[in-house]
Amino acid sequence: KLHFITAGRLFDDLMKEEQPESKTTYWDTIFRLVLQGQIEKACRLLSLHSARQTDDFQTLINLLKRMPQLSNVYKGSSVAEFDMKWRHWRDECQRNYEEQKFSINPNLETVVRILCGEDAVFSEVKDCCDPWYHMLISKALYQDPTVKACDLHYYIQGCQDAYRSTTRLGELDSILLSALESDVYQVIKDSRTVFSNGWFVAHLTDLLHHCGQLDSHRLQFGSDLQREFLLLEYAGSLMSHHSLWIVGVSYLDHCAEFGRKYLELYLDHIPLDSEKKANKILKICEDRNMTEQAKSICKVMGMRCIRNKRLGAALTWFLRSKDVGFATVLAEKYLLEYSESGEFTNLDLIDYLGPSMLLSNRLTFLGKYREFHKLYSEGEYHAAGDLLLALLQARLAPKQFWITLLIDALPLLEKTELIFSSQQTRELMKCLEELTTEYKLGKKRDGLGFTEARKDQLDVLKLALSRNLPKAILQEGTVNLL
Amino acid sequence: MADSIQSFVKFVSRKISKIKWQPSQKQTLECSDTFVTGSWDDEKNKICLWHLGMQESMERDEMDDALEPALKCEADHNGDVTGLEYVGSDVIVASSSTGSVSLYKHHTSSQTMGIQYKWQCLHSHGNHLCPCTCLAVRDKTIVTAGEDGKMVVLSAEQKSPQRIIENADSSTINGLVFLRLTEVISVNSSGQLKTYDLRSSSDAPAQTLSVSGELTSLHSVDRHPGQPHIVATGSGDGVLGIWDLRQEKSPVSLLEAHNGPVWEVKFHKTNSDHLFTCSEDGAVWHWDSSLVGASHMVQTQITGTGAGSGGANFSVNPSFQFGGSETLNKWLSPDNSKMEINSLIDDNILPVNSVDIESQTLLCGTDSESIITIRLPSMR
Repeated sequence: KLHFITAGRLFDDLMKEEQPESKTTYWDTIFRLVLQGQIEKACRLLSLHSARQTDDFQTLINLLKRMPQLSNVYKGSSVAEFDMKWRHWRDECQRNYEEQKFSINPNLETVVRILCGEDAVFSEVKDCCDPWYHMLISKALYQDPTVKACDLHYYIQGCQDAYRSTTRLGELDSILLSALESDVYQVIKDSRTVFSNGWFVAHLTDLLHHCGQLDSHRLQFGSDLQREFLLLEYAGSLMSHHSLWIVGVSYLDHCAEFGRKYLELYLDHIPLDSEKKANKILKICEDRNMTEQAKSICKVMGMRCIRNKRLGAALTWFLRSKDVGFATVLAEKYLLEYSESGEFTNLDLIDYLGPSMLLSNRLTFLGKYREFHKLYSEGEYHAAGDLLLALLQARLAPKQFWITLLIDALPLLEKTELIFSSQQTRELMKCLEELTTEYKLGKKRDGLGFTEARKDQLDVLKLALSRNLPKAILQEGTVNLL
Repeated sequence: MADSIQSFVKFVSRKISKIKWQPSQKQTLECSDTFVTGSWDDEKNKICLWHLGMQESMERDEMDDALEPALKCEADHNGDVTGLEYVGSDVIVASSSTGSVSLYKHHTSSQTMGIQYKWQCLHSHGNHLCPCTCLAVRDKTIVTAGEDGKMVVLSAEQKSPQRIIENADSSTINGLVFLRLTEVISVNSSGQLKTYDLRSSSDAPAQTLSVSGELTSLHSVDRHPGQPHIVATGSGDGVLGIWDLRQEKSPVSLLEAHNGPVWEVKFHKTNSDHLFTCSEDGAVWHWDSSLVGASHMVQTQITGTGAGSGGANFSVNPSFQFGGSETLNKWLSPDNSKMEINSLIDDNILPVNSVDIESQTLLCGTDSESIITIRLPSMR
């Protein structure tokens, strides 16, 4: 009923008619219904015929109604009992036919011959039971309804021969043949090659494997590997689909042996169109502890942000994957921006870093340096000075940045109140010395040195420092005395 | 008392990224029966309008059928649908991962939907496409934000944008919602909430709040329907945050909820004790705070003269009632042990991207290419 719907459709059409028998499809429909075993509908159609009250119609309808149905084998009546009933019924049909009751109406005769299970009639009505497996079922129904699956092959040849002139056997037919012969392995093998979508063969093998129906010896790789191989194949086709990749992931999860490796490889190939999609794929990686892939996704997204000049967004990606290297690169970019433009960008992120800044030394420096600026602008000069010195002493700052830091000390030194103690001033001087020495060495080696403007600044700094030192000593000395 | 939760799953062959009820007409008291969905990750994405045949007077056995949505009409959409809202009763605005925003008009007479206007490339990285990530609507004003950190204010009646806030945020903005007529709040991937006043000439946010500690991205935000200073957020590690905007800086409470990013947080529009969240882990949770102790007295510092106190500062202890005490909103109450949390979907593995609630029906749009309609029993 599910596969061969023509009969049902025709029936529905005819039932709407006033005089169904006048339509050409009338008898055709009745044949189809009988061949499908839809006796009840066939009877209904027959009773609509104008000549239904005649003897032959009545006899036929009676026969049809009395056809034994194998409704429920388990409910008492056994197969043997049914077989006996059925034979009785068939004999009665036979008798009725031989008594020539239906000779007037050839169509009725055809129906009775079908009921008797006469071989020849099936060839006559073969158009109504196309293709061969339909005829196979119909024949079996009327010739031997209790036929066992293994004996079906007796009928197959005959059915196929009936259609040999009109149609060729296709690949689907050969798969069906193998299925009828219960040759599971052949079915699996052929299904793989015939069907373009691996869904059927993957699921079939999976089900058979779980039922224990697959004999490991007969398969190329053993049953669980075979199943896995087919599942991997199917999952592969899903992973390359633009939206079904998420289903493919679930399939790969069920492949115990190679699933994880395949998933890792496939995940690298899914296009990361937007941040939301990247977040989803990241979750898949994190759920399965695939740290490598997670890191690489964050890296790709971060690099993309850098290319698009979205340094803040890039930083969030690197912080998420705890990527020290790139966080350092970004921090240096920010510092470069500052030293070139004198202004910070992305302040809304840097100011709120919190403990995340500890990821990389550079980043920590950046955060602390911002803190220094904030303290300065809030007027907390002592704290700012302490912080500045701490930054220099802890060697958190890259050497290139020392100049900027030292120059930053200048306004503090020029304040009327004393910010730096003598100890601190000496420290600053030491840093300055170290810096200039290194640069002088560098100059000798590579020809690099300070620009003129820088040199002037450093001179001013030296002066300020040397002015601060005695001031500091004096003040400290005074306090001590008191 | 408790009628069970009824639900229906409808498979629609597309992953749904956004789902939204049509706002109920103000004149009638009937709740809406139409909703719109937007899809993503497909070669050809669609905006679809659905009808849910729901009436209060239906028989019990008919109720199940009433939960199945029927497709009324659809329209093509270029790119993933990243934001979907109604402007008025039959105009829908959708933002796309190509950086453009489109207005769709639903012609009720012919049951078709067509593009009324499209703003192209509102968000871009120079010459490259940049996704527009979220959308918020209030009356005829539409605000969009994208991965380029830009915020654009549009009017449904004007062709050119009203205002563009460049560099509103240095990280990606993930969610937007209107607080008041001209005030918007946004959440970003560095875990910050920022409020913007659209009338002010300055581009800087009026207020910035964040959780101290690790930076976890925030993906969704919604404000309390009655009290615009209460806001709920969903974060990338599954935590539901409740914030009081009058208090600076930190959230009132952080509730550990899901195992994955919380994609959408929705307060019930008329019954604000109820909140719904959906997440990448495939769960949809219903948060019911109606039983939470509401009349918790706030400890206040009062300066004043009391009998014999000599004008000193003193603090009022909770059992003492003094004129002008404040009743805390249930969401802000520090004692939330009575909060009821229900998980609404069982056996769902694939992520739920979007939820919307109207009266008693919750809609969910998922990555398993289905729309789930859930009828909830009567809520307190």
